[in-house]
Amino acid sequence: MSTVEEPLYPIALLIDELKNDDIQLRLNSIRRLSTIARALGEERTRKELIPFLSENNDDDDEVLLAMAEELGVFIPYVGGVEHARVLLAPLETLCTVEETCVRDKAVKSLCRIGSQMKENDLVDWFVPLVKRLAAGEWFTARVSACGLFHIAYPSAPEMLKTELRSIYSQLCQDDMPMVRRSAASNLGKFAATVENAHLKAEIMQIFNNLTQDDQDSVRLLAVEGFAALGKLLEPQDCVAHIIPVIVNFSQDKSWRVRYMVANQLYELCEAVGPQPTRTDLVPAYVRLLRDNEAEVRIAAAGKVTKFSQILSPEVATHHILPCVKELSSDSSQHVRSALASVIMGMAPVLGKDKRIQARGTNINYLLWDRTDRRFFHSVVVVITVVSMFMLDDATIEQLLPIYLSLLKDEFPDVRLNIISKLDQVNQVVGIDLLSQSLLPAIVELAEDRHWRVRLAIIEYIPLLASQLGVGFFDDKLGTLCMQWLQDKVYSIRDAAANNLMRLAEEFGRDWAMEHIIPQVLEMANSPHYLYRMTILRSISILAPVMGSEITCSKLLPVVVNASKDRVANIKFNVAKVLQSLVPIVDKSVVEKTIHPCLVELSEDSDVDVRYFANQGLQSINHATMSS
Amino acid sequence: MLRQFLSKLPRKSGKSDSPELTRSTSCTTAGSTPQPHRSNSLNLGSGRPCAPKRTSSAVFPASVVAGIEPLLPFKDVPNSEKMNLFVSKVSLCCVTFDFTDPTKNLIEKDVKRQTLLELLDFVSGSVRFSEPAILAMCRMCAVNLFRVFPPNYRSAVSNGGENDDDEPMFDPAWPHLQIVYDLLIKFITSSCLDAKVAKKYIDHSFILRLLDLFDSEDPRERDCLKTILHRVYGKFMVHRPFIRKAISNIFYRFVFEIERHNGIAELLEIFGSIISGFALPLKEEHKIFLWRVLIPLHKPKSLGVYFQQLSYCVSQFIEKEPKLCSTVIRGLLKYWPITNSQKELMFLGELEEILEAINMVEFQKVMVPLFWRIGCCINSFHFQVAERALFFWNNDQIVNLIAHNRHVILPIILPALEKNAQNHWNHAVLNLTINVRKMFMEMDDQLFISCHIHFKEEEAKVSILSEKRKEAWKQLENAASLKPIAGNTAVLVTPLATPIAY
Repeated sequence: MSTVEEPLYPIALLIDELKNDDIQLRLNSIRRLSTIARALGEERTRKELIPFLSENNDDDDEVLLAMAEELGVFIPYVGGVEHARVLLAPLETLCTVEETCVRDKAVKSLCRIGSQMKENDLVDWFVPLVKRLAAGEWFTARVSACGLFHIAYPSAPEMLKTELRSIYSQLCQDDMPMVRRSAASNLGKFAATVENAHLKAEIMQIFNNLTQDDQDSVRLLAVEGFAALGKLLEPQDCVAHIIPVIVNFSQDKSWRVRYMVANQLYELCEAVGPQPTRTDLVPAYVRLLRDNEAEVRIAAAGKVTKFSQILSPEVATHHILPCVKELSSDSSQHVRSALASVIMGMAPVLGKDKRIQARGTNINYLLWDRTDRRFFHSVVVVITVVSMFMLDDATIEQLLPIYLSLLKDEFPDVRLNIISKLDQVNQVVGIDLLSQSLLPAIVELAEDRHWRVRLAIIEYIPLLASQLGVGFFDDKLGTLCMQWLQDKVYSIRDAAANNLMRLAEEFGRDWAMEHIIPQVLEMANSPHYLYRMTILRSISILAPVMGSEITCSKLLPVVVNASKDRVANIKFNVAKVLQSLVPIVDKSVVEKTIHPCLVELSEDSDVDVRYFANQGLQSINHATMSS
Repeated sequence: MLRQFLSKLPRKSGKSDSPELTRSTSCTTAGSTPQPHRSNSLNLGSGRPCAPKRTSSAVFPASVVAGIEPLLPFKDVPNSEKMNLFVSKVSLCCVTFDFTDPTKNLIEKDVKRQTLLELLDFVSGSVRFSEPAILAMCRMCAVNLFRVFPPNYRSAVSNGGENDDDEPMFDPAWPHLQIVYDLLIKFITSSCLDAKVAKKYIDHSFILRLLDLFDSEDPRERDCLKTILHRVYGKFMVHRPFIRKAISNIFYRFVFEIERHNGIAELLEIFGSIISGFALPLKEEHKIFLWRVLIPLHKPKSLGVYFQQLSYCVSQFIEKEPKLCSTVIRGLLKYWPITNSQKELMFLGELEEILEAINMVEFQKVMVPLFWRIGCCINSFHFQVAERALFFWNNDQIVNLIAHNRHVILPIILPALEKNAQNHWNHAVLNLTINVRKMFMEMDDQLFISCHIHFKEEEAKVSILSEKRKEAWKQLENAASLKPIAGNTAVLVTPLATPIAY
């Protein structure tokens, strides 16, 4: 290639690629913008590439998204921060497109660039851009503008700052709810950059407007900003300005807003400290704990421990504990579940005698309804944690019947949950007391009609094996493990094979030679080719555990035998297994047995068999060459 | 606003001392001397505070009514008193009951039901509604209907989709809601309702709340709402632009933000008839609506739910203004589904409908990208998509368009046809492809041969081209690596970091 044409070349290539019908090619070339820029050099990147991109924005959203992302890290390619402003133009256009993802990405990239730009450049270029977008005719521009104020504001001179604040306040009252939502959700970030003096006056006013929005989606987002604002203000201002609004929000007619308050309230309490929390926020919180809408109670219940921690024990006992008791028998399982997952933390908060009382109530209440699985998941966790905390005889006495009844629960998930926590349970009550009930539970799960349940229990088998020991295992579970190898579902058969390998690891080779290998090899003659395939799979993962000797004497002959199978799928799997055995066995065995077998397969009539056989042969060659 | 105002009312029940209402603990001080001036103007100032203590979403107020008693029947009062009685009865119906417990307040529930039915009967009559009556009626509807829907657990708790899939959640209060809806429909359509007075109460806020209800999961409710909103649109001319704007906002949110809304089909249905009423020539505002709202509505993946209504709206536009055809087709091409075959079928269906109506000039504006896309569809591995695309050639109108522009279209479509003819897995598609090819041959065999030759040449060049491309990039990367990025920022070394997937 001559050096004369080279200068023209990169951009021509890009233009050419961007015209291609194939979107993948267009994407690829956009993804390599940085290469093009480097080839062009900084100056031509600024003068040719960037203007070209600014005009070329009528592509698929996916391409535009990639472009928005690439431009965010483009500063080095245009010659460093003092030239960063050239990147604003293409991103500004991307801020106005319809697709939300593209706009979001463009805003993100603009923020990234803006945060590196020099102060006077920001004033000269970035602020005008924000103003243009904020005045955009179509809502997409205005939505994007809201996310840029926190970058533009800090470096602006006083006059401009005033203007920016007033523009933002207009955006918060925009005609389109989309814009108001964006303004509300970005207000927290913007407020963080505004001087304290203006916070109380102007920003509070903006917030107040948002709190009265007729769309709950807007109010909802304002709540979040409010909590953020609360942290910016002095505690006394927060008490004066923020808390009344939040308390008001906590009684909003939309449950979504109340839910948000329930989620944010705790942070606000942190900001204002215990005293105002007690007087003003506890009633609001208690109200949320008793909300009509379960979703709100869930959110509130989830914070019960954190909230109680801020308060003194008396207040917690007085105001929060009664609610907790109510909640633990809530009609919504999700509420109880949320409560169950945090309730243990309450114990230290409450002090000792309360703790015991709470424990009693919890366990009893939590057992209230046994029809719900998600709930039970938490119950099992909680109870186990409880027991770890307070190991005493009384606990065991209380817990054992619970465990036993959970093991017989009608929902497989509940039984699975207990089994999955078996090691912990073992620590608490000892396995002997449970093993009687354990086996029927396992057997039933092993035959559950949902394969995911069967899969789950298989995955716990190694855990069971380690907890229960060989003796228990031999009698009862051995047959089950073999049975799974012939399951109707592939994932189960696959998991069963893995399980055998892990058992062999756990109990050692000798045990495996007696209890696994013979049974597995027996199945190698199964009439169903899928089962034969499972055996091949089992062999390939058992071999490394069993070691070279057993592999050569027991496993390899079966594999070689299978190479004469009439099903092509078996044969190419043989080729794959043989390849995996190469590193395990002796070189002489490779030469004597594996190699000839592969050679034979490489002349098979089936194309796939030949392919995998050749692959195997190649890897043998590799191995011999490298050694 | 109205709702907030109303929500304060129950507390005042104690003060209610108008004679007819002594026993009804329900809201309102209205009675026989209502104060119409306490309507919106006052509320505007009062802002939002004082929501009732435990506002419910779909849940019911826990404060249970001690007991309501039926009022006199309408026939027992003189005509002059009828309107006052109406107001009282309407006010009585502001009490809402807990329907989650079917055993609670059985008698009171029935009293309310009977009263609602009486009102329904009365509204069908021919007594002109006084302003207090309109206020009371709107207030009663607001109290009963405007509620926030409970969260949707079905989407949150989707563990494998095995359990209770498509069981929409119905409001247990529907027996009452339904009559209230019927009442509102009758009321709005009644010739005795003066739109000039009523517009003060059926205001923007009222309409917005009404629109919020379209997200209901209950199709019966959405159906009622559809009728009501349609009538409101018909009756209150002043509100028309506002209603259009508010519905557009719902659509925007649906398309660009959440992709979840139960009432899109119903809202589009209303729009369908709004559009068919547009005067010609179409206003710019309406064309923008087509481009900014209706076309992007093709994007969400739940398109199937409202596709019929959407494509009706689009076809209404095209019928009014055939020059919009190319715009619409360009829009469809922009939002063409890439992985969703079901949507692709819908797109092809809509496309065929448009092509049947399109004129030659419009067709020529879009035929190049259009047939490039159709070519992709022909090659789809989903046989229904391929078949649907090939069926275009069964349509005489479309074949006519193609024949006229065969010099442009055949070169675009031929590679797709050849590719199918060589190796499409589906027989029906294969046969259809061969037929279409034959059709082109019969159309203009000279052209076909020359295109075919050109295609063969291009095909041979494909691998060379991709080689060339690779080579070009390689050289470019070389050139780039020779020019280390300078600038005075400490440069991150990310030059070739982006993986290149071919």
